[in-house]
Amino acid sequence: MNKAVSRKITRYSICLLIVVLLVFFLPRCMPGDPVQCLVGEDVYVTQEILDALTVKLGLDQPLYEQFEIYLQDLITGDLGYSYTRHQNVADLIWSRVPWTLLLTGVSMLIGYAFGLLAGTWTGWMSETKRSKVLTAFGVVVSCIPPYLLGLIFFSVFVYQLGWFPYKGFYETPDIFSIAYHMALPILTLALFVFARNMIIMRGSVLTEKDQLYPQFAKSLGIPQNKIIYGHIMKNAILPIVTHFAIDFGFILSGALFIEIIFSLNGLGRVMYTAILNLDYPVLSGLFLVIAIMVICANLIADVLYGIIDPRVKRGEEQ
Amino acid sequence: MKFDRRYILPFLLIAVLLLVALFPGFFAPYGTTDRDATYQPPSSDHILGTDNMGKDIFSLLIYGARWTLMIGFASGILAILVGTSFGLLAGWRKGILDEFLMGTTDIVLILPKIPLVIILAAYLGPSPWVLILVLGLLSWESIARVVRSKVMQIRSSNYILAARCLGFSDAKIMVREILPVVFPVIVPKFVLVTAAAMISEASLAFLGLSDPMMVSWGGMISDAFTYSGFLRGMWYWWLPPALCIILGVLAITSLAFIHERGIREVVQL
Repeated sequence: MNKAVSRKITRYSICLLIVVLLVFFLPRCMPGDPVQCLVGEDVYVTQEILDALTVKLGLDQPLYEQFEIYLQDLITGDLGYSYTRHQNVADLIWSRVPWTLLLTGVSMLIGYAFGLLAGTWTGWMSETKRSKVLTAFGVVVSCIPPYLLGLIFFSVFVYQLGWFPYKGFYETPDIFSIAYHMALPILTLALFVFARNMIIMRGSVLTEKDQLYPQFAKSLGIPQNKIIYGHIMKNAILPIVTHFAIDFGFILSGALFIEIIFSLNGLGRVMYTAILNLDYPVLSGLFLVIAIMVICANLIADVLYGIIDPRVKRGEEQ
Repeated sequence: MKFDRRYILPFLLIAVLLLVALFPGFFAPYGTTDRDATYQPPSSDHILGTDNMGKDIFSLLIYGARWTLMIGFASGILAILVGTSFGLLAGWRKGILDEFLMGTTDIVLILPKIPLVIILAAYLGPSPWVLILVLGLLSWESIARVVRSKVMQIRSSNYILAARCLGFSDAKIMVREILPVVFPVIVPKFVLVTAAAMISEASLAFLGLSDPMMVSWGGMISDAFTYSGFLRGMWYWWLPPALCIILGVLAITSLAFIHERGIREVVQL
């Protein structure tokens, strides 16, 4: 354990603490009755339920005792109960998480793989016309919010051409049905990931290209492809790993929007209905789960960085 | 400095958008409260037809520019103010203050922004001011980092040393000597933060988290999505605001890209 690692862990813990505090204090600091804020605004529940909830959450007690109760609930995995959907929030979210992760994961795999390759190529051949066109395309795509990209694809490929289904799965999902329904959403998100990474990779390769070691490798007679994909790509990939942590939150949010547009059964639709119904327990739970996922992604990025960059392993300052 | 011809197109686009945002009444044929028959296709009366409330889509498009740009620029300015002061202080004072400020920066960087804005907007109500405040206060971290590293670079240079020897106060050195050097780094960042805020605003409005009284491009797309604009094949309802968002963001971002001569530095930091 070196200093950098412990510092990172402190920061992640503080981040988690802020998220938890936010979710705790927001409903309790709003003007009006906190019970109403914890239940949601647009639901009709009887006074008995409200009273029972007040006792259960300790709302008639001082804040620190409420916080204790809240933390105990959190640790046992209890995220509250949605009176709008009549469902346990934790169960609801856990049943949807795999779908969102599937969409995000596959899109990221495709997007990163092609983005890295294309970025290396455009960076190396940056003077050619084809590379410039590809770069311009990447810049334009990365300026489009993912949900607009989804809307445009939806309108063209689903409404106009009818190549893909209108809605998410109804029948029992088998692998072909899943592939059929997920193809276009995955393509949309992957295109977005691709564009972003291509631009970052291109910039990184441009910097690496001017260093001395590629020239040295060339003078040794190493074939060009091996220099590009063996030597340069390996070094140029570091900024991508740094960005992975930040981008994950962004891509995940993008996935939520794309799920809304394509009516997929993931967290996105849960979020959308929760917003429309002002279903606060679900929104808070979602925020917590997403924040935890993002922090995990940061941890993964740190580990990856340690594997790829030998300087980190030796504990040197970057 | 030689004027770069590539600036012309983005500047022109932004100028048109600003003009439209400042004087919507001059360009729009109808007001935002005028109503006609609903769901009309484009005609000579209504260039882009009418929406589910019978409002003229072209006029809404013009009035929408105001809020989208306003939210973008206002949160950009807020982010610049916070980020620059954080970066200046952290780079200048070093030590514990630097550790603390950069720690805060890292934490803000990790927080998932869009979900956070969603939950805040859901609780606090969808007012544009909440949006500006939240977006501005969440997007300063990259500015703080750039400013800090730039300050670190120049803090030991001779002219700063000279200013210190002459007995200028820290505040004066920071504002008079360091800020002008840092400024060129801030400008492209400001532009990128503004573009990101416009994207966030459009996304939130799409979720219905914008003031229903306030016309914005994201809100128009949201209306088209909710009130069967897609089922009816009314592409002239959602495509123009979508194009406006894309073009606006693209124009603003390309300023930063051109400024940095190549895409690498902007995207990497």
